[in-house]
Amino acid sequence: MMKIVIAGAGSVGSYMAEELAKLGHGIILLDNDPAVVSRGESIPGVKFLLGDACDADVLAKAGVTDADVVAAVTGDDEDNLVVSLLSKQEFGVPRVVARVNNPKNEWMFNDMWGVDVSVSTPHLLTALVEEAVTVGSFVHLMNFEHGKAGLCEVTLAEGSPAIDRQIRDLAWPREASVVGVIRDGHVLPPNGDFVLHANDEVLVLARAEAEDDVRAVLIGS
Amino acid sequence: MAFGFGRKKGTADAAESEVFPAIATIEPRRHVRVKGQIFKLKTRPSQGMPALEVTLIDDTGSVTVVWSGRRSIGGVGLGRRIIVEGVPMKGPRGLTFTNPSYELL
Repeated sequence: MMKIVIAGAGSVGSYMAEELAKLGHGIILLDNDPAVVSRGESIPGVKFLLGDACDADVLAKAGVTDADVVAAVTGDDEDNLVVSLLSKQEFGVPRVVARVNNPKNEWMFNDMWGVDVSVSTPHLLTALVEEAVTVGSFVHLMNFEHGKAGLCEVTLAEGSPAIDRQIRDLAWPREASVVGVIRDGHVLPPNGDFVLHANDEVLVLARAEAEDDVRAVLIGS
Repeated sequence: MAFGFGRKKGTADAAESEVFPAIATIEPRRHVRVKGQIFKLKTRPSQGMPALEVTLIDDTGSVTVVWSGRRSIGGVGLGRRIIVEGVPMKGPRGLTFTNPSYELL
């Protein structure tokens, strides 16, 4: 069980609190708007605290001092950055997750501001929309380690060079790993002898430099 | 608990009588005031931004101090004795203070 402090009790924060509480984690939800207190208090297993998360004393009261994770998920990028910086700098929180509201601000969500992982909803939505409209193209779904590695996906088109071949026979680059294949709504574990078909969604975890080679394997050049 | 940004006012005299914990005994995520001597100093760019990284030592051990966003700080030089106050955490270079408040001695 982890102790998790969530700053921002809007729809994102309350949803996270509820889901994480169900998984048995200790959740403290922080918001400075009394109007959302009732909503926060109605979530079982979640402790609600009224206060400004950008105030170090409020964070201390919320128990950030020994929290395992802080999630800054308010609708305000400035606030999320301040919460992240305080959590890292004043409390040494091991994992700080921050929400990016405006993609223009994403470049700031890094170590400098105490952010370990940032999640940008607009970028995620763009990737998912792109995924929906494209078969046979390379979709970058998610970043890890500030973009050094990523999860990408290709839905195999009829002409893909990977079709009817076993996963182990393909010329994968170093530092790329197939993490799963989705076929007809089923998730299939990627064994080496798994034979790929057209319309399979192949999920690959790869280092940024390896993405072009992954593209060549699954789409061709 | 005291939260400090930037430089705290203090005098060298006050520091004389104050007792500081040995650097080797510092624990991660505990607010602490330590005294030490600057043993190593370097500028380390981090994601396009400069950062000043200092290794602080006493007779018992060493700790890393990073001030982000700057290449140098007046008075923070090799051999200088300083007091640093903040919350250290485990980092790739051992226990590290990030942007702590400091006093030059």
